[in-house]
Amino acid sequence: MELLIVPLVFGVISLMLSGKWSKILGAIGALTSLCLAIMHLVKFNPLSQVILAESTKKMAFGLTFNIGYDALGMVMILLTNAIIPIILLSNWNRELANNKLFTALLFFMQFGLLGVFTAQDGIIFYIFWEFTLLPIFLILYWFGAKENNKVLFKFFIYTLVGSLAMLLSLIDLGNAARSFAYVDLRNVQLTQEVACWIMSGFLLAFAIKIPLFPFHTWQPATYTSSPMAGTMLLSALMLKMALFGMMKWMLPLTYEGIETMKWPIIILGSIGIVYGAIVAIKQNDIKTLFAFASISHLGLIAAGIMLFDKVAWSGAIIQIINHSLISVGLFLAADIIEKQSGTRNLNQLGGIAKLAPRFGFWFAVMVFAALSVPFSAGFIGEFILIKELFSLHSIVGITAASSLVLGAVYMLRSYQLSMFGAPKINSFNDLTWNEITVFVLLTISILVIGLFSSSILEFIEPTFKVLTTELKSSQQIIE
Amino acid sequence: MDALIVLFITGLAGLFIGMVKKPHLNLLVTIVGLTIAFLIQLNNGRYISPFANYQVLEFNIAQLYFSLLAILFTLLIVIGGFVYFKRDPNHTGDYYGLLLFSLCGAICLIGFTDLFMFFLGLEILSIPIYVMVGIKKQDILSAEASVKYFFTGAFATAILLFGIALLYGATGSFNLNEIRLAIQSGEYQTTYLFIGILFMLGAFLFKVGAVPFHFWGPDVYQGAPEIVTAFMATVVKLSALFAFFKLFNGTFQELSGFWIGALYFAISLSLIVGYLGALKQTKFKRLLAYSSISNTGYALFALLSDDKSSLGSLWIFLVGYGCATIALLTVSMIIDNEKDEVSAFKGVGFKNPFIGFILIISLLSLAGIPPLTGFFGKFSLLLNAYPKHLYLVILALISSAIGAFLYLRLITLILTKENETQKVSVHSLHYIVLGICAIGILGAWGIVAI
Repeated sequence: MELLIVPLVFGVISLMLSGKWSKILGAIGALTSLCLAIMHLVKFNPLSQVILAESTKKMAFGLTFNIGYDALGMVMILLTNAIIPIILLSNWNRELANNKLFTALLFFMQFGLLGVFTAQDGIIFYIFWEFTLLPIFLILYWFGAKENNKVLFKFFIYTLVGSLAMLLSLIDLGNAARSFAYVDLRNVQLTQEVACWIMSGFLLAFAIKIPLFPFHTWQPATYTSSPMAGTMLLSALMLKMALFGMMKWMLPLTYEGIETMKWPIIILGSIGIVYGAIVAIKQNDIKTLFAFASISHLGLIAAGIMLFDKVAWSGAIIQIINHSLISVGLFLAADIIEKQSGTRNLNQLGGIAKLAPRFGFWFAVMVFAALSVPFSAGFIGEFILIKELFSLHSIVGITAASSLVLGAVYMLRSYQLSMFGAPKINSFNDLTWNEITVFVLLTISILVIGLFSSSILEFIEPTFKVLTTELKSSQQIIE
Repeated sequence: MDALIVLFITGLAGLFIGMVKKPHLNLLVTIVGLTIAFLIQLNNGRYISPFANYQVLEFNIAQLYFSLLAILFTLLIVIGGFVYFKRDPNHTGDYYGLLLFSLCGAICLIGFTDLFMFFLGLEILSIPIYVMVGIKKQDILSAEASVKYFFTGAFATAILLFGIALLYGATGSFNLNEIRLAIQSGEYQTTYLFIGILFMLGAFLFKVGAVPFHFWGPDVYQGAPEIVTAFMATVVKLSALFAFFKLFNGTFQELSGFWIGALYFAISLSLIVGYLGALKQTKFKRLLAYSSISNTGYALFALLSDDKSSLGSLWIFLVGYGCATIALLTVSMIIDNEKDEVSAFKGVGFKNPFIGFILIISLLSLAGIPPLTGFFGKFSLLLNAYPKHLYLVILALISSAIGAFLYLRLITLILTKENETQKVSVHSLHYIVLGICAIGILGAWGIVAI
């Protein structure tokens, strides 16, 4: 339980103290949470499920107060608690780090995310899911680009509509189960048609957040108008909530509908892979480019998850972690470029590598990690996912594999245009110590995960086995 | 019944103390009276009351919960309005007296077992409000609101009375139980009964302010002083909704096939029209009036379910809605929003973080964002209506998204940073009111856990 309370407490404290404390508070709070997560990891047995809090009696409307995690939840908790310090560290030398509102909102965000990953009750899940929307909205509103209200409202309404559809699905399931506890929801037997409807409700929420191909229109503008920390939070953690939701909630609860829903989603995911990559090639704004790249990467993961198979899921989880790390690195690089040269436009950039060789090196490392070169985590993840998609149908596999080639095009183009050629800008300060530390940490994690991915896969396999088993014990049926 | 007498005496005392122009004494007496009434209602049934065999009013557990809520809301409004009353010493006593008389009517409307008492309660509730709406005599909007509310209200009352008469003709009784028995046994005049029910439905929709009888709402809310608006939006709505529930979900339950279509129509329009109407408003109380139309649409979901537990859902919903509305209007009084502009709220969150916090949780609660009380209210109402009325539930969710957009715009306005930030000072009484409202808005978990 302290896992959830610590960020909340630090959030409230930093709201109360003045701005000069927030840097220190941020560091202490984030590191404490990380240590707590590691302590939980040490005690954790992958075969078991940990319960953090459990209500003894059923409350009104069949609500239960259940909080706990399995191996999937553990991985996501670790990811969250590791990314939050990195985000704080990359902001260390910027104004934002001294802003108490920002630090507080970041901690509230962490609280919400941890809640989503540990909820064992449908409505608790929904509550935390909605809760995360508020801090991120305020971060974008207060610290983002000026006059971005339109973009923000689009983002908020999109995600809210999605969540309301999910609420409807949850109400339907809960109505049949007479309870909202995860175990009870899982036990509801559905007919195929009902399962399809319920799954679409969940899917709308998740597809908007991921975002899948036709639901992505909020994303590029939101990324561009957000502050760096907001973009990092969105792409590294919030989008992962949706992928986690698909694995933990949507598919295990409504797998009866998978046969019908599998193909449309996989096709949408594949369209997203190609579409995102092609659009990214033509972008000149470096942040928009990374946003479309993100659509491409996540389309692949979503398609892989829809296979509802533990091998594909292990590829997906590796890729989820990898994408979080890479997007933090890439958006940090984009922000450094914007801050130093005053523009994000690739046509106005050039020759930065000569002015700032250290930045040139670490940006290159991130670009190669995004290209999933061997030994990086992305290689394992993408390889598994593409292989599984190939075994489903060769055309899907080929489409998915095209992301590797197209990815190389847009990534290398962005790197080449900004880093090489004649310098178009006068001065470019090289990296500061905190930025180098961030890049080093990210690179080490990417390499470690790439080299020792089998241990993660072993760690998470039992849980995936449980989640992908089509096993429903009780006999409740919805007509 | 005892509480009713206490309230009535307090109201009378308020009128007389008003003559000596001592606002503090007036406030004290009113608060003491309301607190005593609250405690009496809380201990109802634990002691032998001299009026225990008074048959026309009956207070069971549901009635008690709703009347406690009505008294609590009035208490909040009285305390929050004190600064406003003081400014107008000639009318201070009138406010206290009329508010309490109106509350007496509300409690009659909650406890009635007889259509005669029901009508009396409704009139006692409405007449003081006609006066209070027009109490700012120099203000042309206030006068317009008063006249408009009086004429339309009187018309609705006449229709209601006609409905009651037809009902009496059809079943031969004023008593709810006897009417119910007559309906169950089939001993009634079909035509008269159905016309009577339709008339009553129309009058009720008028009183709670649901589409298509909502036109008075925005004008009256805008013209009335904030305190009276708050009273109309919370206590009046609460008691009218409870009476509505009691008659239609209790007495006329057997005939639900007949009236449910009309209710469907009213709910679906209310949900959409309210929020759509609110989107373009620049006057704060007008905006609140439109949003309250949609909130009424949600509250009417309670009538659709045959389950008695929907009354509990309605209660939770009204706690969230009432606390949020009172908090918003109190803040509007604090920032001295004489012109009633929405833009007056700009940057309030930075001028006084406490007020900002209260405003934000109130708006989020109205928008139905978890984990605030507003969410649990809406959620439980929808859950009660769920499998049978799927399309209405979907419509409610859509309207909820529109509403979220509306409230979010207000929130961004409140959180806009301004360069010159003069602090907003808050009277200590307002802190009490806002604090209690915050407990109501945040306290959903407590209610759910019980």
